[in-house]
Amino acid sequence: MIQKLLRITTILGLIALVGGLGSADVLRADDDRDRDGQRPPQVLPSGFESTDRLLRDVERAERAPLYSAWIVESSRFMDVPFGGFQPDKASLNTTVNLPVNVGIIEDPDGKLTLYDSGWKQLAYIFDWNSSCCWKGIRDQLTAIGHDPAKVTRIVLGHAHWDHAGQLSEFPNAVVYIQKEELKQIDFFLHYPVDFNAGHIRAVNTVDPLTGAQVGPPAQACARTPVCGYPPQTVQEILGKVLSGKAKIVDGRHEIASGLVIHPAFRGHTYGSQLLQVNTARGQLVFGSDTYSSWTGIRDWLVANIQQTDTIQQFLAYEKCYVLASRLNSFHNCVAAHEPTAYTNDYPLTANWWNIPNGNCSRAAELILAPGKTTHVPASPNKVLCVNRTPPPHTVTP
Amino acid sequence: MEVGRSTAETMLSRASVLLHLWMTRKMIALGLLVLGLVGVLALATSREISRAPTLAAVTPIARPTRPALSPVEEVFIQSLWPIHGEVQRSLMRTSLGQILYKTNDLSRADLKARMEQALVTYGRAETGIRALEPPTSLRNDREIYLDAVRLLRESVVEAMKMFKDGREDHLVTAYPKSQEASDKIREVGGKFWPNEFPPN
Repeated sequence: MIQKLLRITTILGLIALVGGLGSADVLRADDDRDRDGQRPPQVLPSGFESTDRLLRDVERAERAPLYSAWIVESSRFMDVPFGGFQPDKASLNTTVNLPVNVGIIEDPDGKLTLYDSGWKQLAYIFDWNSSCCWKGIRDQLTAIGHDPAKVTRIVLGHAHWDHAGQLSEFPNAVVYIQKEELKQIDFFLHYPVDFNAGHIRAVNTVDPLTGAQVGPPAQACARTPVCGYPPQTVQEILGKVLSGKAKIVDGRHEIASGLVIHPAFRGHTYGSQLLQVNTARGQLVFGSDTYSSWTGIRDWLVANIQQTDTIQQFLAYEKCYVLASRLNSFHNCVAAHEPTAYTNDYPLTANWWNIPNGNCSRAAELILAPGKTTHVPASPNKVLCVNRTPPPHTVTP
Repeated sequence: MEVGRSTAETMLSRASVLLHLWMTRKMIALGLLVLGLVGVLALATSREISRAPTLAAVTPIARPTRPALSPVEEVFIQSLWPIHGEVQRSLMRTSLGQILYKTNDLSRADLKARMEQALVTYGRAETGIRALEPPTSLRNDREIYLDAVRLLRESVVEAMKMFKDGREDHLVTAYPKSQEASDKIREVGGKFWPNEFPPN
């Protein structure tokens, strides 16, 4: 009888154990699903990275070599209405001057990666009356002690004209761009205009009913998915593709150990991307216009709306907070148009100077890898200057 | 009792002297502390002033402004606008078409269709621009634009050879012409429509 009871108890115990394991499996799966379930409904799978995955990238990067980093000011937009920069502060009713920053990242072996490539010369500068300080990126690199020939990679935070403009200056450099960035422009180029008068398709349309011009001076182009990509910019990307010097990326991509692309789809444009860089001050995160404003990241304000989905921009801000969580936090987010850049108010960029013969453009040394020599001059010129003279342009028929 | 009183008075007197002495020392220490703080503050302020960028706006050169357009110039520029839009969209479609073809996101047939359409657009644009009568001041710009459209047409003709012999290096051969054309179009576009692509 006792043996029978023992046998029944053992069988029941085994059943309970198997059941328990089974349910543990289910729970584990739920846990995993919960992690991935953090993906908001409108985020593309290739654009999503959970907090855990980002933290794993931090751990991996911390075992990687240390990089050095600088920014240079490709140009400066002058007198931009504050509301166009940070809509939440439009009531300030004032204007700001916005730098257009390009990131320079140096490998341990001296090779350079650019994050964004600034404006291309020609017409943008020629008749753009509210800009200052444009200087060719090759000249800027040389003037701050870098060899432009060592630029081997260019990561495009997004492909707007003021960030992707000088690709042909670096014929040997490989360009990294998200496929999503290209697909969205292509899609909206075809978008019907019947009921929107071209305000969605943009690129110089005419109202089908009235025949009136859509675009300047109506400025319809400023908020549409296609606007911001002149044919000239797309041509430069095509040049890279045809010469085998383009990597069309879909989501996260590790370029090298300690140098990781993270998607930030619709953080500014459809295919925006961030760049995580392992440095002695922790992970730097370059963000182009997704991180248009550093104070915006610090204070959680949406910035530079354009095609931005505001929640996607906040999710991209969060990525910086996660990646830089071990050291310096939001202080390590590198913004493209932060007006306080090159001052002590944006501490990461406080070590700045005017680029010699740089048309008033500025540079800042963000961080040096151990053993590397500083590029900051012994007596840095820190007298803020403005020069709105357009550089020469020489297109002839 | 008297003795006790006297002792008490003496003690009181001593305490008063000590208190006075202590107060004096305290005052001196307090004074030194305040002086020190003022010194630190002055040093910090002077350091901050020397470190902060000097906001000496050097703006000796006036902002360049485009001279006002004459009515004839306005009419020409307005008439070019729809043609400009068609040309730019067509160029974008062929450029992106080639990129997406290379990434296997667009079929060969679709790329061919885009290029055929571009040829039609460029032909129409050339005819349209020639029909416009520019004022003397803008004749050079019209020539630049016409040259750009010619380059685009030639570029597409070259690229389309790949559909005959299957050699994709025609795309590479065709590219410099379309790049040059896009530079020219941007140059004229920037002059005629300065706000066409506002800050992004």
